[in-house]
Amino acid sequence: MTDIVVDRRARERFPLGLWGMAMLIATESALFAMMIGSYFYLRFKNAHWPPPGIPEPKLLIPLILLGVLLTTSFPMFMAARSATPKLWLLLALILQSGYFAMEVHEYAGNLAHFTPQDHAYGSIYYTLLGADHGHVAIGLLLNAWILWKLLFGMTAYRRKALRAIAFYWHAVNVLTLVVTLTVLSPAFA
Amino acid sequence: MTTTVTERVERLERQWAERPGVLGWLTTTDHKRIGLLYFWTTLVFFGAGGVEALVMRTQLVQPNNDIVGPEVFDQLFTVHGMTMIFWFIIPMTTGAFGNYLVPLMVGARDMAFPRLNALSFWIFVASGIFLYVGLFSGFGPDAGWFNYVPLSTRHFDPSRNIEMYTLGLAFNSIASSLTAANLIVTILKLRAPGMSFNRLPLFCFAFLAASFGLIFALPSLSVDLLYLYLDRNLGFHFFDVAHGGSTFLWQHLFWFFGHPEVYILIVPAFGIATEIIPAFTRRKMLAFPLVAIAELLVVFIGFGVWAHHMFATGLPTVTLVFFAGATAMVVIPSTIQVFAWSMSILTGRPRFRTPLLFIIGFIVMFVAGGLTGIMFLAIPFDQQVTDTYFVVAHFHYIIFGAAVFPIFGGMYYWFPKVTGKLYFERPGQISFWIIFVGTNLLFFPMHIVGLLGMPRRVYTYPGDMGWTSYNLIESIGGYVTALGIVVLFANLVVSYFRGPPSGPDPWHGPTLEWSVPSPPPEYNFAVIPVVSSAYANWDHDDRERDGHRLTAGVGVLERGHEQHVSSVVDGWTSEIIDMPHSSPWPILLAASLSVMFTLLIVQKFVYASIFAVLIGLTLLGWHGKEPQES
Repeated sequence: MTDIVVDRRARERFPLGLWGMAMLIATESALFAMMIGSYFYLRFKNAHWPPPGIPEPKLLIPLILLGVLLTTSFPMFMAARSATPKLWLLLALILQSGYFAMEVHEYAGNLAHFTPQDHAYGSIYYTLLGADHGHVAIGLLLNAWILWKLLFGMTAYRRKALRAIAFYWHAVNVLTLVVTLTVLSPAFA
Repeated sequence: MTTTVTERVERLERQWAERPGVLGWLTTTDHKRIGLLYFWTTLVFFGAGGVEALVMRTQLVQPNNDIVGPEVFDQLFTVHGMTMIFWFIIPMTTGAFGNYLVPLMVGARDMAFPRLNALSFWIFVASGIFLYVGLFSGFGPDAGWFNYVPLSTRHFDPSRNIEMYTLGLAFNSIASSLTAANLIVTILKLRAPGMSFNRLPLFCFAFLAASFGLIFALPSLSVDLLYLYLDRNLGFHFFDVAHGGSTFLWQHLFWFFGHPEVYILIVPAFGIATEIIPAFTRRKMLAFPLVAIAELLVVFIGFGVWAHHMFATGLPTVTLVFFAGATAMVVIPSTIQVFAWSMSILTGRPRFRTPLLFIIGFIVMFVAGGLTGIMFLAIPFDQQVTDTYFVVAHFHYIIFGAAVFPIFGGMYYWFPKVTGKLYFERPGQISFWIIFVGTNLLFFPMHIVGLLGMPRRVYTYPGDMGWTSYNLIESIGGYVTALGIVVLFANLVVSYFRGPPSGPDPWHGPTLEWSVPSPPPEYNFAVIPVVSSAYANWDHDDRERDGHRLTAGVGVLERGHEQHVSSVVDGWTSEIIDMPHSSPWPILLAASLSVMFTLLIVQKFVYASIFAVLIGLTLLGWHGKEPQES
């Protein structure tokens, strides 16, 4: 007990890079919690939500898109573990890019109906969704970056990066689930 | 032929040596150098905030004074509050003390993410530049440090003043979050072998608590700043009641950050106290586990009390009562700590050196400020004294008395460690007494003028209100405090050049930072220490065994920038990693980030996108060189 025996082959199950990512996810989750809190705060301050003149959010397409995004957790999970992560990554990247393109299209389409400058409803709607899409966009860049790195072979460092990015994607997927259900919530009632 | 100790140490020195000269400081990732950079930078801001305070006290020295007008006065108290909180105390505690001392105390060679640490510092510098460029160009933030809407909306504050608030604080909160994340991972993962969680020094518990507070509280501020920016610049309606927004939204989000913030300010100071007390009373801290839990609990409860800043805003009574009750709970962990500190001093054999004097002053001030804090729980009383000088008195007792006194004490206490010189004791004690008398002269009469009804933030007052003589005393107290601070720093500066050498451990300090030479070498520990109590430096047999292990070459970790990683709970080594060092990327990234955001604010989108590309390239460069696998 009085001395350390250093086993140089020992590898931490949860390396420092993942701890760093966990810290990022913790603080980003708090950020989204605050935004979702503001959404409901503003909602309960208003008698009509959405206010008259603004259509209720449509359910079908956003829910399908959400489903597509959530399935990408599986290829990301496999990519972090498998010996051939590139194919899994590519599959995830295609699905995620499709999701992102469709969401940007939806976002622009909504702007034709109502804008963030009309009412606080629009302000929080577009800010919340915009923040979420921003996180997806950063995830796409991370994925593209690690895929490019992996073209030059796998190292222990890249494996850690891959695991951290997969961790990020799982968190973004959960955040997107909560954010999407929040902005769709007026249509459920 | 076996390697000798000298050879091992020389090899470590070669491997950990940083670039010489200015370039070395710009590209440094050494936690001690970054800690010193933080220290000097925050001192500059402390000076600026102090000058602002003195100008305000000079303006208020007599009725109907007109040294500064109301516009300038508004900017002065706003920037004073922001500077002292965000550019002095937080970076001084987490940035300077935390960076310098936490790795030394847990037995690590650097912070967990050295380059992130450098990035945090350079972003912090940029945030300070934003704030003070604003002030000196006449666009200083001017709506108070909590910047309530609708006063701070475009309609009532049409110039660029509030953008400086938003931008400065947004950058500042990024910097603080990075430091906090770094401290958490360092404390959880880079502890010396054997330093299980119950053997973690109380100082580190305090910094862990403050860092968790920052990680979860700052996003609330960031969201608020984002909303304000969108409202002011793009015509959004978060705070616009006419379009379904709510002015309360700002207050809730601000104080959901702002109250934990108060504890984030003082908890590291508690940590400093729990280091100084054992060293100067020759005993271990009383009720160690309770104090550790209390440090964490103060921050945790701090997240549930924010609406006590809003008692006078017309919230429903049931809400007020709930928050008054929640606030009352803070008394429990605070009192545990007050009793633990004072009884440790009383039951020990105290040597009343300067650091301990500052801690005793801190306990006195903290109790006084805490007692007025309890008075605010009485909701009708709070509604009477809200926005009067009584509140100003309360939070200055807490912030100056309970946060800055331990910082001063800590400066004296660790001065020998950082410089290798002893400070002069007599001038040190004199500086304490001047500051103690000065702050009480400065802040105590504020209670009385507050009860007499003097509102805070007024730039002048009529002569027939009965406030005149109290204000005169306060201003005199302000000058006395400033004098004391000058004596303090003069002492430290003279000691740096003329002080006698201190040796590694002048106080027989309890924790690991005193087991290494002063100033500590770049690699901190020639041999990774093995720890068997929270007062590791008092376990002489352990430290002796470290010496034998150095001779035998066990646990020296000399193949490059090596660092051990420990398991979270029991603190045994689970991995050896290669740490990055001296990197130009953090400063480049911080610079391109700040230029890009400045361009976004002035709406030069084409130029901003050029810098966005630069940021991408910097990040690629940052991750270009991979660590060596052993």
